[in-house]
Amino acid sequence: MNSAPITTWEGAKAYFTFADQPGVLMVISALALAVCVGTIAAMIRHENACVRKANGA
Amino acid sequence: MENAALLAKIEALEASVALTKTVNAEVFYWWCTALMIAIHAGFLAYEMGASRAKNALASGLKNLLAFAFLVPTFYFFGWWIYLAFPTGFTVSEASSAGVAWGESMGPNLGDNASGIFWAAFTLFAATTASIMSGAVIERIRMSAFTILAILLGGFVWILGASWGWHPEGWLTTSWGLHDIGAAGCVHMIAGFFTLGVLINLGPRIGRFNADGTVNHIAGHNMPMSLIGLMIIVMGFFGFLGGCIIYNGGTWMTIYNTPTTLSAFAFNTLMGVAGGMIGSYLVTRDPFWMMSGALIGVISSAPGLDVYFPALAFLISFVGGCVIPKLADMLLVRFKIDDAVGAVAVHGFGGVWGLLAAGIFASGYPNVSGPAVSFSGQLMSVVVFAILGFAPGFAASYVLKMLGLLRTDPKIELAGLDISEVPVKAYPEASTIPAFTGEALSPAE
Repeated sequence: MNSAPITTWEGAKAYFTFADQPGVLMVISALALAVCVGTIAAMIRHENACVRKANGA
Repeated sequence: MENAALLAKIEALEASVALTKTVNAEVFYWWCTALMIAIHAGFLAYEMGASRAKNALASGLKNLLAFAFLVPTFYFFGWWIYLAFPTGFTVSEASSAGVAWGESMGPNLGDNASGIFWAAFTLFAATTASIMSGAVIERIRMSAFTILAILLGGFVWILGASWGWHPEGWLTTSWGLHDIGAAGCVHMIAGFFTLGVLINLGPRIGRFNADGTVNHIAGHNMPMSLIGLMIIVMGFFGFLGGCIIYNGGTWMTIYNTPTTLSAFAFNTLMGVAGGMIGSYLVTRDPFWMMSGALIGVISSAPGLDVYFPALAFLISFVGGCVIPKLADMLLVRFKIDDAVGAVAVHGFGGVWGLLAAGIFASGYPNVSGPAVSFSGQLMSVVVFAILGFAPGFAASYVLKMLGLLRTDPKIELAGLDISEVPVKAYPEASTIPAFTGEALSPAE
């Protein structure tokens, strides 16, 4: 996988991975957001399980 | 030949000076950001100490979650919102620099500014969430807090910052708002957002008796809270340093008016002292004395660049005297159980700071917009109050309706740590009732 947007450091500006592929950046961003949302969903599940346990279910 | 060599040397020297300025600016904000992390270390200690032993780790976990979630949220949305909405609700062209997948939002040899400014603003965002977190301890669900923290830190406050803490923000260009130290967009918005949440969240079990009288719920470690509050004060030197625009050569306020770091040093310290003395005078309580230090910072924050230091001291002293009384009023008269006084300290402290600037800094010219005035400050206070309160109330109301806002009463009584956290704060103290959840009354 070639993630480098540059072939030389001469005149380089935005040089982060996939900087020349906005579509890939959007997919990576969506995955990062999904991690955040998924963790909050897991948090809610954990809390619900604690409530069931506290109530003897 | 000699002239050509001389010109080449001058060009090299100019390039070197320009690079030094750029590096200086980067280094300045890098360390401001690092110092601001102390605010969160302070809030962590302060809120764990203010919790009963059975909730100590859950309170701390909440602070850690807020910090962790605010960083990506502010990356994906916050910075774009700041650049997008200075004129109101119309998206500005400058917002393209804040799009998460844009060229400015990552390593870029042609842009030394975006990363460090984003980082400093991210820490401001996390501070708003930390302001809310202390008020809601011991009964809010972790997930609800995280969602509300994201809403506050990633969206709401930064819209206020775009409106009133931006060179082109409409509150300044239309009304002349002067709020150098972010008392409005950070403290007021976070305080009023918290008030909206507290109304829906309700008090901790045992806080009020059937006849409406109040039970004192003591935290388990007052010394830790005091140390935490002092660490927050230290962190505010990073926060307020980050409020100054430094381009490596000159210092400017967020409104592009000239200032110096010395001005901020004079008035920040005098404000801290004034707030501490004021709160000590009216309470004799070390917790409120250190909260008074925060009140002092917030009271003087809007005019840090222009106040005569003794005036900053007096403004903060008045804040330190009055705000603890307003916290009492919220508790006794309105039955708002704000565990650490965050609404009063940050929300009402911010109101006082902005109004004080309208009284004592009136007439100072702005680069864009009319001069500072009391009416401009007052109208901005109303905007910040509504902008903070409305989304806090609405979002927490929705969570409440979904049964997601507050933890189960059994868990609240037993303690959130024993129910939800897989480790113990004080394992050697497992036989002491206060540490095991076997409290003698709901308020213990």
